[in-house]
Amino acid sequence: MIGEFEYVLLTSAAALGDNAYGAAIREQIEDTTGRRCSIGALYTTIDRLESKGLLSTWMGEATAERGGRAKRMVKLTPQGIREAKDFYNAILRVSRNASWAVERRKGIL
Amino acid sequence: MSLSSTTLDLVSRLLAPTEREAVLGDLTELHITGWSSVTGVLNLYLRRRLALWKSWRPWLAAFGLAIPSSLLLMGLSVSIAQSGQRWINTNLLSASHLSLGPGLALLLSNIVLLVAWSFTGAFVMGSISRRTVRISIALSFIPCAFCLARFRVESLSRLCLLLFIIPAAWGLIHGLRFAHIRLRSALFLAAVITVLTIPAWTSKGAWLPNWALSWPAWYLVATAARSTRTFKGQSWLTS
Repeated sequence: MIGEFEYVLLTSAAALGDNAYGAAIREQIEDTTGRRCSIGALYTTIDRLESKGLLSTWMGEATAERGGRAKRMVKLTPQGIREAKDFYNAILRVSRNASWAVERRKGIL
Repeated sequence: MSLSSTTLDLVSRLLAPTEREAVLGDLTELHITGWSSVTGVLNLYLRRRLALWKSWRPWLAAFGLAIPSSLLLMGLSVSIAQSGQRWINTNLLSASHLSLGPGLALLLSNIVLLVAWSFTGAFVMGSISRRTVRISIALSFIPCAFCLARFRVESLSRLCLLLFIIPAAWGLIHGLRFAHIRLRSALFLAAVITVLTIPAWTSKGAWLPNWALSWPAWYLVATAARSTRTFKGQSWLTS
């Protein structure tokens, strides 16, 4: 099973779709979690997920706002999607009877 | 150009070219400048280096090969130098004819062992952990520096300690280029080493250093045999 940060990264990349690359994923993670994400943690996790076959990466186009430097684009593999789903379902199952999950369900209902 | 941007340029050269491109682009896009960008890149580089040590291979190369082998091979180098000097003194300088007695046989056997042990040890050190090989080399020089500083044999040069360096460098270069050697060559090396160490089996204290230096040869046999099996399996699959 993947780790917490790996799940956060996979989910952020999935949410960004075709626009998933290093800087965009980092911003997405920091905006949604409110936690700092270092470039080192980001790229080493991307490498780890790629070596596990959960992500694929390739060099994208260069843009002016990046000083003419290329992006490292990221895409989830079918196995990555499966692993992220498994993690999400496990979190849902384990949280079912937790007070905060019950409160949240009541709030939604 | 500010000091931080010069430092960033230097530090980012530690990364692979494509990664450097992506990371510097990300830092520009995220407006991370100055020393924050330098620490960001350094953080990534250090994480990359540390990640290599999660595997057992760099540990084995550094602490199972580099340090013990260099220490033991230095001992053998000095022994060979002393035996060689003794043989030259008794046969070439004082006697009128050459005698090919047990002294010469032992000397030649030790020279072959030194070359074979140095080659196989350095080959395995280079092949099992290429990306940490600089650290392994640096660690192998620690015992060398220690012994060179304390070497007190008047009749011998300090360089006698380093007789193993040339075959070791030869093995290391090959180990960095190839993951394994041919099965026949590996078997030949392992057999030569094993046969030449047989006389030492009866002495109590010799088996540990002998095996500490001999296992890389048998490791090469194992990796060569595995790659031969894989190759045969692949050719069977494709035929």
